[in-house]
Amino acid sequence: MAPSEATVLARSTTPEQAPEHLVLEAKGLTQHYQISRGLFKDNATVKALNGVSFDLQAGRTLAVVGESGCGKSTLARALTLIEQPTAGSLVIGGQDVANADAARRKELRREVQMVFQNPYASLNPRRKIGDQLAEPLQINASLSRTERREKVQAMMQQVGLRPEHYQRYPHMFSGGQRQRIAVARAMMLQPKVLVADEPTSALDVSIQAQVLNLFMDLQQQYRTAYVFISHNLSVVRHIADEVMVMYLGCIVEKTSRDLLFERPLHPYTQMLLSATPSLHPDPSKPRIRIQGELPNPLDPPPGCVFHRRCPYATEKCKTEVPALRNVEARQVACHYAENFL
Amino acid sequence: MTTVNTPAAQDPSALYPSPFKEFWHAFARNKGALGGLIFMVIVVFCALFAPWVAPHAPSEQFRDFMLTPPLWLDGGNSQFPLGTDELGRDLLSRLIHGARLSLLIGLASVVFSLIPGILLGLVAGFSPNRAGPVIMRLMDIMLALPSLLLAVAIVAILGPGLINTVVAIAIVSLPSYVRLTRAAVMGELHRDYVTASRLAGAGTLRLMFVSVLPNCMAPLIVQATLSFSSAILDAAALGFLGLGVQPPTPEWGTMLASARDYIERAWWVVTLPGLAILFTVLAINLMGDGLRDALDPRLKVQS
Amino acid sequence: MSLLEIQNLSVRFGGTDAPPVVEGLDLTVDQGEIVAIVGESGSGKSVTMMAVMGLIDHPGRITADRLAFDGQDLLSLKGRRRRHLIGKELSMVFQDPMTALNPSYTVGFQLEEVIRQHLGLKGRAARQRALELLEKVEIPAAASRLGAYPHQLSGGMSQRVAIAMAIAAEPRLLIADEPTTALDVTIQAQIMELLVNLQRDEGMGLILITHDLAVVAETAQRVVVMYAGQAVEKGVVPTLFDAPAHPYTEALLAAIPEHSQTDRLHTLPGIVPGRYDRPAGCLLSPRCPYVQPRCQERPALEPYDRGAVRCFFPRNVAPGEAPVVLPEHQRPSQLPEDRHGAV
Repeated sequence: MAPSEATVLARSTTPEQAPEHLVLEAKGLTQHYQISRGLFKDNATVKALNGVSFDLQAGRTLAVVGESGCGKSTLARALTLIEQPTAGSLVIGGQDVANADAARRKELRREVQMVFQNPYASLNPRRKIGDQLAEPLQINASLSRTERREKVQAMMQQVGLRPEHYQRYPHMFSGGQRQRIAVARAMMLQPKVLVADEPTSALDVSIQAQVLNLFMDLQQQYRTAYVFISHNLSVVRHIADEVMVMYLGCIVEKTSRDLLFERPLHPYTQMLLSATPSLHPDPSKPRIRIQGELPNPLDPPPGCVFHRRCPYATEKCKTEVPALRNVEARQVACHYAENFL
Repeated sequence: MTTVNTPAAQDPSALYPSPFKEFWHAFARNKGALGGLIFMVIVVFCALFAPWVAPHAPSEQFRDFMLTPPLWLDGGNSQFPLGTDELGRDLLSRLIHGARLSLLIGLASVVFSLIPGILLGLVAGFSPNRAGPVIMRLMDIMLALPSLLLAVAIVAILGPGLINTVVAIAIVSLPSYVRLTRAAVMGELHRDYVTASRLAGAGTLRLMFVSVLPNCMAPLIVQATLSFSSAILDAAALGFLGLGVQPPTPEWGTMLASARDYIERAWWVVTLPGLAILFTVLAINLMGDGLRDALDPRLKVQS
Repeated sequence: MSLLEIQNLSVRFGGTDAPPVVEGLDLTVDQGEIVAIVGESGSGKSVTMMAVMGLIDHPGRITADRLAFDGQDLLSLKGRRRRHLIGKELSMVFQDPMTALNPSYTVGFQLEEVIRQHLGLKGRAARQRALELLEKVEIPAAASRLGAYPHQLSGGMSQRVAIAMAIAAEPRLLIADEPTTALDVTIQAQIMELLVNLQRDEGMGLILITHDLAVVAETAQRVVVMYAGQAVEKGVVPTLFDAPAHPYTEALLAAIPEHSQTDRLHTLPGIVPGRYDRPAGCLLSPRCPYVQPRCQERPALEPYDRGAVRCFFPRNVAPGEAPVVLPEHQRPSQLPEDRHGAV
């Protein structure tokens, strides 16, 4: 048995939770927010997430693709246990989060960490970065100060920082370096899952490349599973194993990376791919005319959430919500997915 | 590929001094603030070493020298550089000892309102749905009353004297600290680094004092400095009204009150304590402005 | 005569010996052309255009051999004449639409303000023109949007409004500074399409400032690549992307995930030098994989038939088209193709 298999087996509590390196299972994650609209109106509901389900395996990367308002940030908050979902279940490393007691939940929190989009906001401006990196260890592990410092220095070296950086404050670092520090902090506890919320969107191309390389190196070493949220499809194409496309809180397509880019089945995915500019534009590829904008989440359209912008919408699309179903090794939420095969 | 002797592109970290040096550099650029600081250093020195600096004891009455003018006027006496008051007490000594009192009142009232203010503000910020509204309504009520009248009322209830003056001023300054802290906390709570600390497992107390509070200190420091000066003014006002520090304790405001009748005959007995108050408050305000300019923009600086 | 002529533009902040943020930039833009200025943070691309628009305040200082729009010298223009030119003939769209619009006034009010200022229309005529402009930038239900406040609009809508304000006075040259960086990819595609269509319909010159090479590949005709305040390469699309001449352009392309064949992306070590960290020789030399001893000197921008490159050892330059090193007095200040083919 491979070492990682043995470790995972040792962690799961019951034999039914057959590992297969499964680190995270999300089933039907739903998040509805109540917005008060003043004294004389009823509360409105924002359906930020609607029944999102997926599995995540060790050492693999699931990319979550979508534009603003699709629910990816809400998903990130649900996965990192910052917010409790309104409905649905989350199983991390074989442990059901909902049924866990407070102590268990604290342990589970360590298993899922996050890297944020804005490198200028994700570090505490008033603390030395060495102290910030040591904080997770301070809270969760009983190590001596020297041991902590050693671990911090080791991680710093891994992400490409120098030992003397320990004493410095965040404002003394560039955007790319800050993002490395943020990654180091997230990896200090060697979590099973790392949620990266647009980690390179605010960075220049060459810095983005350095940070992406870092992500891939760390994944190889620690077998961390990544949930990589990004709207940049060329980055996704480079780093993802599986891709999940979201629109207005629902999954519209979920499949392996190669299949998605080779032949997207859902019209929204097609639209995204068409809209993404390319260094070597292919004049033979038809340009899909992009219509409209994201609908108001307080007032989502009936039927398929995408039908108002879809060039192929029919009457059925306006009334019936398409379920996420299997179509030839992928999952698509479209009534006419087969037509695009 | 041969190595080239060009200076390697340094990363930004090599260029930055420590936070304090940076702050000092920004603060010292402001001439007014620097002047205020120097003045306050002198005042603090006088206050600390009053018994040795002052030429006479503040309550010692020189019956032969009542209402002696200051040194540079006719009839002045080098024994009493700033003259004497109606009971023959040396004005300079009284001013120096009065500095001690004014600074003490200012410091004590700031400390006694800052600490509870921060605590209440933290709780209000971290608990926006339950404790928060309760605390803020309480503060709103307190703010609705004019501060001086409130102070007068408190002293009227508790009785005059030094300690009660401090208590009154502290209570009156409390709401602004609570408001400031709460606003700053609410601004910081949604930042990513707080979320990151939460993800690392930090509990509420740790979040409050280690993650959030240090980032809220800048406006608080500025407010504390400025309310130092208004504490001195309030104490002087209370003293003037006869409700604060009681004579013969030399407090600048009390000195003003007891010298009211001598404005025409011996203007120095009234004017000099007034000028002392004026310059001290001005110096502190200049310092406070300098602090604000030095601290706040740095918070917004991104590399 | 070109629409915009820039020769040897330098921008400094501080005294005359302060290191320049932009150094020795040459650029010409003709009527109806789309030119892209590409670079990363710290390259000086935005500062260049702000200098052209006159938006650099003290302590910034602009020096140039020539800075002319439509023949008029921009450096000596002052006051009313300048206001007449900038914003009317020469206009700019900024990156963040949310901050480019004044949050306290309605969209209609802001549009009409521009129309009043530059076109002299008032009242109903101004409102009508505002409506036409909103329709031109393809805002649905334009009439109802006139009364909307900026915060009520989405990012894409706000950027369309900003574009409407920029083209209100029918400028001859439009500068777009990272117009789509803050927007989602489908909205980005819509906005870029809008800009290109407007440019074509109105015959405007368009200068596009961006760090996104893919957008450049799809939109622009000519490209200027900037690094640490200098133009390091000039070329045409798509040749620049197929065969970059400057090692920095090559590295930039290699770092783009789309371009990469391997798992790991190729990156240059180190970071872009700040103003005070610049090496004495070629600015890229501390990071360049092809550095040679000669790179301790500063290379000049040398033209060759496809463009120009600032490197002693350019890549992808075939023997037949080795960089033409002209003697000092013969060095042209424009790209060969600016003079319509004559070398």
